[in-house]
Amino acid sequence: MAELRLARRSSSLPLTGLMGVVLLVFVFVASASRDVVSENNKTWRDPAGETRGDSHHQTNSTAHKKAFPVLSFNYEHVKKPFEISLWILLALLMKLGFHIIPGVQNIVPESCLLIGVGLLVGGIIKAIGGEAPVLDTKLFFLYLLPPIILDAGYFLPIRPFTENMGTILVFAVVGTLWNTFFIGGMIFAVCRLEGGQLAGVDPLSCLLFGTIVSAVDPVAVLAVFEEIHINELLHILVFGESLLNDAVTVVLYHLFEEFTHEGTVTVVDAVLGVVCFFVVSLGGILVGAIYGVLGAFTSRFTSHTRVIEPLFVFLYSYMAYLSAEVFHLSGIMSLIACGVVMRPYVEANVSHKSYTTIKYFLKMWSSVSETLIFIFLGVSTVAGPHAWNWTFVIVTVVLCLVSRVLGVIGLTYIINKFRIVKLTKKDQFIVAYGGLRGAIAFSLGFLLTNSKMKNMFLTAIITVIFFTVIVQGMTIRPLVELLAVKKKKESKRSINEEIHTQFLDHLLTGIEDICGHYGHHHWKDKLNRFNKAYVKKWLIAGERSTEPQLISFYNKMEMKQAMMLVESGSAAKLPTIVSSVSMQNIQPRGPARHRAIPSISKSREQEIRKILRANLQKTRQRLRSYSRHDLMIDPFEDNVSEVRFRRQRVEMERRMSHYLTVPANRQETPPVRKVCFESEHKVYTYDDSKSPLGRTAEPDPSPPDAVSLLNESSQRANQSSEHRAKRNDELRAKVPDEKEEQDQLKLSRCLSDPGPNKEEDLS
Amino acid sequence: MGSKSSSLNKIPNAQELMQETGFSAAHILRLYERFEFLDVDQMGELRPEDFGAIRELSMNPIGDRIISAFFSPGKETVDFASFVRILAHFRSTETNRTRDGAQPEPANSRTRKLKFAFQLYDQDRDGKISREELLQVLRTMMEMQVTEEQLQSIAERAIQEADLDQDDAISFDEFRKSMEKVDIDHKMSIRFLS
Repeated sequence: MAELRLARRSSSLPLTGLMGVVLLVFVFVASASRDVVSENNKTWRDPAGETRGDSHHQTNSTAHKKAFPVLSFNYEHVKKPFEISLWILLALLMKLGFHIIPGVQNIVPESCLLIGVGLLVGGIIKAIGGEAPVLDTKLFFLYLLPPIILDAGYFLPIRPFTENMGTILVFAVVGTLWNTFFIGGMIFAVCRLEGGQLAGVDPLSCLLFGTIVSAVDPVAVLAVFEEIHINELLHILVFGESLLNDAVTVVLYHLFEEFTHEGTVTVVDAVLGVVCFFVVSLGGILVGAIYGVLGAFTSRFTSHTRVIEPLFVFLYSYMAYLSAEVFHLSGIMSLIACGVVMRPYVEANVSHKSYTTIKYFLKMWSSVSETLIFIFLGVSTVAGPHAWNWTFVIVTVVLCLVSRVLGVIGLTYIINKFRIVKLTKKDQFIVAYGGLRGAIAFSLGFLLTNSKMKNMFLTAIITVIFFTVIVQGMTIRPLVELLAVKKKKESKRSINEEIHTQFLDHLLTGIEDICGHYGHHHWKDKLNRFNKAYVKKWLIAGERSTEPQLISFYNKMEMKQAMMLVESGSAAKLPTIVSSVSMQNIQPRGPARHRAIPSISKSREQEIRKILRANLQKTRQRLRSYSRHDLMIDPFEDNVSEVRFRRQRVEMERRMSHYLTVPANRQETPPVRKVCFESEHKVYTYDDSKSPLGRTAEPDPSPPDAVSLLNESSQRANQSSEHRAKRNDELRAKVPDEKEEQDQLKLSRCLSDPGPNKEEDLS
Repeated sequence: MGSKSSSLNKIPNAQELMQETGFSAAHILRLYERFEFLDVDQMGELRPEDFGAIRELSMNPIGDRIISAFFSPGKETVDFASFVRILAHFRSTETNRTRDGAQPEPANSRTRKLKFAFQLYDQDRDGKISREELLQVLRTMMEMQVTEEQLQSIAERAIQEADLDQDDAISFDEFRKSMEKVDIDHKMSIRFLS
């Protein structure tokens, strides 16, 4: 929807967008400079404030009484929140601006633009003489990084991740180690050879530097890869590697930092280092898993306080991250583990609205974080102390590339011996080229204690980051096109695929058992059994705990379709209604629910859809007020009005037939990075057994109705199968009117559906 | 190497099997050991009960279907050659490099793999998966946790999606088409056998 509007106004927007952007930059800089001015003239202001304050208190002592200030200026009071908000606002407006200006998106990835803006802002601030905020390490690691990682971890596609786990681990661990030692060693050699300024660099510092600069950065990878829509395998390989190498980086970083203080390295230290690695990674995962289980368990009991459900997810995850950081374990791995463990159970427990909230909030926060990170990166570059050394910097950049390429090629050679689906040269190239460095490297560099080398290291790190993000980021898209790398398949899973995939899973498990081979499928099957037998009972509330996966998948699909029809049907007629799908609040009630509804054959589905559509639309319009504690709408206030119902049905049919002749494959949200997620909305039928109107009597009529409806449906199925050309046409199947009405009324009673409203909004 | 070739002589038609299925000598040996392990009464042939003795297989919802897939229609026993031929379906497709065009399609090609899976659905071997057959499969996979209506609606929807020629059943081509997005090479290959 928003896309259409934007498209229409796009002609005038570039100009206004640009102007707005420029204006914002100036506003921001003005405030920063005001801040500067206030900093410089603090002494001037405070006495003024004080005297004013004094004059208030000393009214009786002074000769003339000062007038009561109607309007006063007190910036100090709100300075910090004001600045933070202004920064965030600037960042987001920049982001907005880039999307409005057409054409830019396709050439330059957003991350580059943001860095550019950061540079610009930093430059302006510096020119004025103010103090630009630097990417404070604490700020970065505690506030900016977790949302991005949580977003990535929560929505991690589990199947490809576990299938390629071996490859990812090899790349992450062995690859990073190789990079570190290669870069560190070569840099040391170069420094020795070069002499002069660089002669004083000791090997441990070089290794430390190598550690910092060799880790592939998840933020940068996400930012760039999101836009090129590469196929799932490559995406998960590079991304998984960027996540899992955190453990290695943490261990190596602390190891080398300790050693630089100590001065000597012994074998014991090396062994301890290896042990430390295992402790850090496994410990991080354990911490994350514990918090994940806690979160899942908590979500089991939240059925009465739906409003705070999303907060549990966020807080438990954040606590997992912080707890891991306390013990110097890998916070990133902890966060990922928490999200992965929590997700299936939380999603089974929370309401539809909470699910949407979680999704949106995660995407929102990670988007903001990422934007801020890149802008700050630009600003810090301008602000930070630099020590440019041509040799060092150039050698670093070249070495990063070389070591990455060598590492990937070498490791792939080994890995391919163990993989079923081998990695081709193209894949290898993309994996190597996609090894971007980012803000984590920068922050780690910042953490370095002030040695004389620090500035030089920082400059080199920044150069590498810029090179990878800007050069590699910009060129990866045309290269992907050029090499014709497989793109992501944008299709939804059909029910056939789901059924057959499960079937094949069982088949392969059986064959593995026959061969006596305890392979991938065997363990997966065991895990599933364990999950079903024990874990689900504890962590999922109520009926949903015994629901097989296929059923939930099927429900999801059906509801998704119903909602899509609702949206497409209503959107045309009533553009004023915001398509806030999340407003469809219908609570889950599990398999028990299905038994109350008469059997869902094709034509009946159609009826249900129509009813849902008709009523959902009405309830959406009616949602005016709700209490803070209970978001459930209570639609049982009107009676079913038959006339209205009939009229609506006719309109709906007309509208639907109009819409279904047009291939309706519209995306629900514009393809903006991080906002473009498949609509995995879950909508459940609303059965309020606690309804005040006491509709508990309703299920009784259903058995006789079910029988009659069954007969009718089989008739109708026979009829419709005759002229079943396309699925679209089927939904327009002509059936006798009275029968349908009766069915609908019966259905409405059976479903205890909310009736339409008195007010006639459909024109 | 010497011991291997002498052990291979124990196995009837080892060289032919290797040619036909593409298994290496080491694989054939491993499979032969497994075959002997399963063959408790040492008759050189496997019976359904021998398969049934595998504990995990009995817990598998489609275990009995898999077992019956090993036995050609009418035969009651499986000899080693048939055993290997069936398992050849699960070799990885990538290792198929030295085939020339004259030979019949290898067992582990994508089509053959799919055909094998298809036949597991299609118990009466009429070349189509009827609604009833699909329902049976769904019933066994769901393990009694769903109602009949739910099964009906799922089966209905599945057939509707896949059935292009409107004959209310899924033929092999339709099956193949509905699986075109699935990476069969990956999903139906066992590393052990590659």
